[in-house]
Amino acid sequence: MSVIADPIIDPKRALRAARIAEFKSFARRFMRNPLGMVGLVIVIALLVCAALAPILATHDPYLPALSDRLAAPGAEYWFGADELGRDIYSRIIYGSRLTLLIVALVIVTSAPVGLVIGAIAGNYGGWVDRIFMRITDVFLAIPKLLLALAFVAALGPGIVNAALAITLTAWPPYARLARAEALIVRNSDYVNAIRLAGASDFHIIVYHIMPMCLSSVIVRMTFDMAGIILTAAGLGFIGLGAQPPLPEWGAMISTGRKFIFDQWWVATVPGFAIFIVSLGFNLLGDAMRDLLDPHLRQRR
Amino acid sequence: MIKVDHLTVNFGPSVAVRDVSFSVAQGESFGLVGESGSGKSTILRTVMGLNPDWSGSIKIDGQDTKSTSRTDLARRVQMVFQDPYASLHPRYVIGHAIAEPMRINKMPNPEKRTLELLDLIGLGGQFRFRFPHELSGGQRQRVAIARALALNPKILLLDEPTSALDVSIQAEILNLLNQLRKELNLTFVIVSHDLAVISYMCDRLMVMRNAEAVETLSRSQLRSRDIAQSYTRELIAAS
Amino acid sequence: MSDNLVEIEDLRIAFPREGGMTDAVRGVSLSLGREKLGIVGESGSGKSLTGRALLGVLPSYARVSVDKMMFDGIDLTTASPKLRRSLRGGRMGMILQDPKFSLNPVMRVGLQIVEAIRIGDKKLPKREAYSQALAILEAVHIRDPERVFSLYPHELSGGMGQRVMIAMMVVREPDLLIADEPTSALDVTVQTQVLSILDELVTRRGMGLIFISHDLRLVSRFCDRVIVMYAGQIVETIRADRLNEATHPYTRGLLACLPTIDGPLDPLPVLQRQASWLEARP
Repeated sequence: MSVIADPIIDPKRALRAARIAEFKSFARRFMRNPLGMVGLVIVIALLVCAALAPILATHDPYLPALSDRLAAPGAEYWFGADELGRDIYSRIIYGSRLTLLIVALVIVTSAPVGLVIGAIAGNYGGWVDRIFMRITDVFLAIPKLLLALAFVAALGPGIVNAALAITLTAWPPYARLARAEALIVRNSDYVNAIRLAGASDFHIIVYHIMPMCLSSVIVRMTFDMAGIILTAAGLGFIGLGAQPPLPEWGAMISTGRKFIFDQWWVATVPGFAIFIVSLGFNLLGDAMRDLLDPHLRQRR
Repeated sequence: MIKVDHLTVNFGPSVAVRDVSFSVAQGESFGLVGESGSGKSTILRTVMGLNPDWSGSIKIDGQDTKSTSRTDLARRVQMVFQDPYASLHPRYVIGHAIAEPMRINKMPNPEKRTLELLDLIGLGGQFRFRFPHELSGGQRQRVAIARALALNPKILLLDEPTSALDVSIQAEILNLLNQLRKELNLTFVIVSHDLAVISYMCDRLMVMRNAEAVETLSRSQLRSRDIAQSYTRELIAAS
Repeated sequence: MSDNLVEIEDLRIAFPREGGMTDAVRGVSLSLGREKLGIVGESGSGKSLTGRALLGVLPSYARVSVDKMMFDGIDLTTASPKLRRSLRGGRMGMILQDPKFSLNPVMRVGLQIVEAIRIGDKKLPKREAYSQALAILEAVHIRDPERVFSLYPHELSGGMGQRVMIAMMVVREPDLLIADEPTSALDVTVQTQVLSILDELVTRRGMGLIFISHDLRLVSRFCDRVIVMYAGQIVETIRADRLNEATHPYTRGLLACLPTIDGPLDPLPVLQRQASWLEARP
């Protein structure tokens, strides 16, 4: 235990050292899961693509070159060109930005909303719980894509509206999850102890219940990202998500559909991109669950 | 210090405690002993306000708990739970766990007092930044005691404080509790299923069975077997 | 050829941890005749692991090495998984701390006993097995065996559940019974009853019993011989009736640190752990 040098003299540093040690042990356990590492590599690759899109792309994703329309994959166009002669490889690279944007928008809106609603419902119980959970049930009872469709139809197509529509369908599972955790945590002795010290409900929910719900929510979030990508692509495919000429993967498949028998690459390449990225998030989520899920952890 | 009169606690349709009365004097150590389901822990939790459905009267320091605010109550009475593995938040270092009650109640110098408390319970300041899972059961229970003492309460309620611990650790914790009681002039109410622990720790005790009080004895009555009820004798014979 | 039921020599169990292995059992040797042997130690002393190694029910990631592990002339180190399974079903039994986890929650307890009987003897007619099950429930002093027969595990009290568990284990007439803290979850008054039932059955049927517990006093009252374990090693083996003559400071410390009803009120003597206890023993 030589990590903690002199905690009394420098408490901040000692606390940081303790946190870093925690994180290191977490990272070590994560590295032992090969499939999880594959998932992590895919997700990191996606992040790199999005960040370095102008450098990685070989062509302008929006600039048509009608002489090269529907060119086959080759030295000039690595994954071929689409019906307007745009480089599919470059469009995929730029499309990763859109994918990440939607995922991020949905996650930052749906997970906190679900977490807060679930933690409050679980902590108070009784009629608060009943009202919040019935609202949740209503949202869960409507088919996801249908609700998103109706919402987009009302707001008009577009990438932000698509993200909002997905959010509307994505938060209830988080609320359910957080409530289930909160129900267990609120009766635990450590919450009782702090309640006896005079802590307010706000304090208990924010500092004691939510941190305990967080790991389940993070796990669920990683899994959900794959689903969000698929829903976003689905909306793009039926023309209600990103609008042309944005290089959104679902929209790209949709245009490639017309040429699927003769120029297979136009639809197949974005399809693969969607497949690989959602696989990556799923593998990552699996690994996270093995490490974070409190119920699995107890069983070991 | 504590006066409980005709306390009855219901869990839905079933009765967990039926018409129990007792009082504990200032500086005294009072034991509640009985088997599982006898209602002894429920009494402690009700005194602390963790059970809503009860009738009767509970007075602490002459004040009715029903009309006392939670924060006011918190500065008079604190509780130590049975399972040290469940009573510390797994995400916070123990320095935080001990300081949190003081921060909530806006007491001055929580950092400094945390160090003092850690010294008092025999762990020392270097433990401040350890997570609970890095500590043994006995060390965790010491932390739980420190947290309970953070608000300077006069009364400590102890719910089976050593039954989750190994016997050699139990001895250490019992010694620590006795020493703290002397130094800080505390009043104890201890719940245990172990008559030996109660006889060692408590000046007076109440035997409970099936939600009811069987009898109240002083330690000398227990030790001279000046006992009225056969159930108490049974308990002694079995221990 | 010795007439010992169990012989273990130099049993070692280790678990993989971050950055290496942690030794949990470090060179335990013991032998058992048809007697009651107690294994006492604090949590983490390796007492339960020793019992589980003998049964062959350790988790798969445990690393076990042993020089010799014999059960009634059968070499367990080379026995096939199938043979070990049939031994567990028939000739060895285990009673765990909490019967709630060892009984099937959606099956009437009587039928579970019948099932246990018929696994051991497949040719036994059903009616015969039923009457045997009722007889064994009576043997563990259950007053109304017919009623208890048709109860589900959650309808049993702790003491009743543990009796059913004992009945289920004893009914196959095993040669060896391993009881891991069988009474720790029970109230003191029930504890005594359950122990006397266990004692009666073990003595009458001439079984070997390994009684694993943290409670030195209880074990000494109940067993013939006591093994005291500390940090994965045996520190002392002593006849139960001579426990007061124990020589090892750990054993003495364990005995002294318990409060008693009529004991003095001075501070309890605290166990001073010495590094030398951890060293390898001859």
